[in-house]
Amino acid sequence: MIIRGRSFDSQVFIEMLCCLIFSGLVIYLVTSGRYLNYVTPRMKPYLYFTSAVMLIWTCAGFSRLFIPRNKTRSAHCFALAFPILLLLLPHSSLSTSELSYNFARGSIWGSPLAQVSGGVPSIGSNAPDMTGDEDIEWSEEDFYDEIPSDAGEDDPAFDISIYDDESFEDMDSTLSYDQAYDYEDDAEVVLSGLDTAAKKITVSDGQFYQWLEKLFFDPDPYEGYTIRMTGFVFKDPGFLAPDEFVPARLVMSCCVADLLPFGMICRSKDVARLQADSWVTVEGVIRITEENGYREPQAWVTEIVPAEEIEGYLYPF
Amino acid sequence: MFQSRIPIFVVTGFLDSGKTTFMNDLLNRSDWSEISILVAQFESGEVDFHSKNSNCENIVFPKKMLETQQEEIVNRLRERLASHEFDEIWIEWNGVAPLSSLYDIILHRDLRKICRISRVMHVADAERIESSVSGSGGVLLEQIGNCDFAVIRNSPRLGEDARLEANRLLRTINPGIRIYDAQSYEDVYRGLFKKKRSRLAVFSLQAALVILLYLAAKPFLEAAGAPINKVVNVFLGVTLQAVPFLLIGVHLSSAIEIFVDRAAVERIFPKTIGAGMAAAILAGFCLPVCDCASIPIFRSLLRKGTPMSAAVTFLMSAPVINPVVIFSTYYAFGGNVRIVAGRVLLGIISASVAGLFFAVRGGGQPILKGGAFERISCPCGCWEGSRPDSFWGKLGLFFRHAQAEFFSAGKYLIAGVFISALLQAAGAGVFSFAQGGAGLAASMAVMMSGAFVLSLCSSSDAVVARSFINQFPPGAVMAFLVFGPMMDIKNVMMLSYGFTRGFIIKLSAVAFVVSFSVVFAFSSVIGW
Repeated sequence: MIIRGRSFDSQVFIEMLCCLIFSGLVIYLVTSGRYLNYVTPRMKPYLYFTSAVMLIWTCAGFSRLFIPRNKTRSAHCFALAFPILLLLLPHSSLSTSELSYNFARGSIWGSPLAQVSGGVPSIGSNAPDMTGDEDIEWSEEDFYDEIPSDAGEDDPAFDISIYDDESFEDMDSTLSYDQAYDYEDDAEVVLSGLDTAAKKITVSDGQFYQWLEKLFFDPDPYEGYTIRMTGFVFKDPGFLAPDEFVPARLVMSCCVADLLPFGMICRSKDVARLQADSWVTVEGVIRITEENGYREPQAWVTEIVPAEEIEGYLYPF
Repeated sequence: MFQSRIPIFVVTGFLDSGKTTFMNDLLNRSDWSEISILVAQFESGEVDFHSKNSNCENIVFPKKMLETQQEEIVNRLRERLASHEFDEIWIEWNGVAPLSSLYDIILHRDLRKICRISRVMHVADAERIESSVSGSGGVLLEQIGNCDFAVIRNSPRLGEDARLEANRLLRTINPGIRIYDAQSYEDVYRGLFKKKRSRLAVFSLQAALVILLYLAAKPFLEAAGAPINKVVNVFLGVTLQAVPFLLIGVHLSSAIEIFVDRAAVERIFPKTIGAGMAAAILAGFCLPVCDCASIPIFRSLLRKGTPMSAAVTFLMSAPVINPVVIFSTYYAFGGNVRIVAGRVLLGIISASVAGLFFAVRGGGQPILKGGAFERISCPCGCWEGSRPDSFWGKLGLFFRHAQAEFFSAGKYLIAGVFISALLQAAGAGVFSFAQGGAGLAASMAVMMSGAFVLSLCSSSDAVVARSFINQFPPGAVMAFLVFGPMMDIKNVMMLSYGFTRGFIIKLSAVAFVVSFSVVFAFSSVIGW
């Protein structure tokens, strides 16, 4: 007669425990939307798949849970336990000030490598040379003569370098609308905010990426339009002239490791007074500039007002 | 009652490995003279057990009884244990019976309350262990894999090399196992009586340590300006990105391992160099295996007489050019077809050049290290020979194998991702020398060294490579993508179970030089 001994296998138990917790955590991350802090929306089905596999493994473990084994191991379980612990331990999503980044302008979708810059040799003929700012040919005086700024130095009520809570009350109410995840499941996005009669584009937060991509691909129809957009102040002497800044948003093309500020270069004589990483709503007139044979739209600023921080990143695809 | 169960010490080992001699030597020492011992032998070898101090009682169970009359064994043991108050039970286990049979007996409801297995040791003859392992099927592997420590006999007579060789073999099967010389009684005592901690307790303690370390060190490190939050975020981002692909990879690999007949794979290789290499590339393209899975196939190809050139081409190309890798690379690089095409093309060229090199310069030295490890095909412990034939049995094994492969590859992946996160958080400062100014060659060397150390699975390394794109020129990232799957620390370790050291060094050097040259030439031409 065949008899079967049974005893509790702690290794299988630990494996099951890790799989179960990981499965649950992944489901929680996806359903709560928190996974967007780490990866892009297109990972959603893969994360469901991961969670399902982990659940299957947990169930499959029951068949081995009581098979006796003398030598048990657990170090390998840290392949799951370590990510689990780090997910559970307190940490915050990356803020703009924590990033040491290069800057992306134009489309990330079309040519991911075109964004590589800052000492790294750029590839491809369409990649602009981001580092050369000595070629910029424009007259500051012309610019400011042409476009009066209502946020100039003479306005004592406007001090960009100091933002207090009260200043947020002046915010354009439409900008508080957070559409960060609007396009998550929507391949064909109809861009809103275009007022052809007034020649004005109001970029909603949820369509920041789409609008800018459109403008970079085909800027000509929009020259002379007024554009209004919200982003954090990105200033980098490596890429930008002293009177240039970018109201940028962070774009995640793959996962949190490749976050890049993305936006349209704005020109203003008040750049020095802008506090880096502070959030602003910028209004300016689109001008097409040409640098080293690369045409891109830039905004010549007419107004800068403080804005409330927009949660979440942009996901190009 | 439950606490005072009689401890059982189990001596395993192949037939004639010297189990009885070891027990005679050990149990007749004066340290044991006051202790009442029951010696149960499930094997009768050339040497008989004899007790000088008459403190040992002996009971022998023939192999036949073990196979057909387990209840009878239980009864006899119970009767013997009831007749006398023993302090210890020593079991000489049969060399060709799985240890699980012993557990079936000891965990029987009549015995489990009066005795418990305390230690399992494996006695191995340094001279014969290799041939024993290859000759005994999965049983000896199961015994070695399950023992608490091993005792090596005859090693002084054979010298240092044989001892190291035996140690390496034992540690291949049972990683981290303590190995003592049969004559070093102090060591053996330590193996026998050192407190054995509960696995759950150890694991909980380690987890608690990670938590404490994180909570305690974080404020200090952050005050010192260390970007802890960034490291955590980047680590979790890349991990969440990589894990699904690793899961896809291990399931495909597991499906091949369990459901595909290995002989069929070996048949498709023609014997001429050119056609063989073409077939190798085709097979590499068709078989969605990563580097972990291609090494066992590489070995069996060589053993079946496949030409060296084709086998090396397969080994080098399969992890770089198969559909899973192509898909994950395409995905990681955001649909950049140039990177994908570059990786496949350069992978094929590098693999072919390496294959040709071995066609010309492959002979002249031993490559395979004997047949000892033929059956160690799997880290999950599902030894060949113990595999079920039914579909459901195979399905169970399929998940189990995939899971085991996930955990063993996952360890390297997690470590690699963490190092990568640290490097990224440390930022350009650490790697600034490798950027533009230092030139492509230096950057490539850094990235290839990185690929070697990180030991990432090729089904998910593209994501990690992608994260380096902001710090390194594309040519260097390409070198990472091409060289990483061909050779890394993990591959070297896996290769060393079946190949000679000379061959592994040669293979690694060829992989490095060839992939470096090919990627460098290509990158220089197109301006990466």
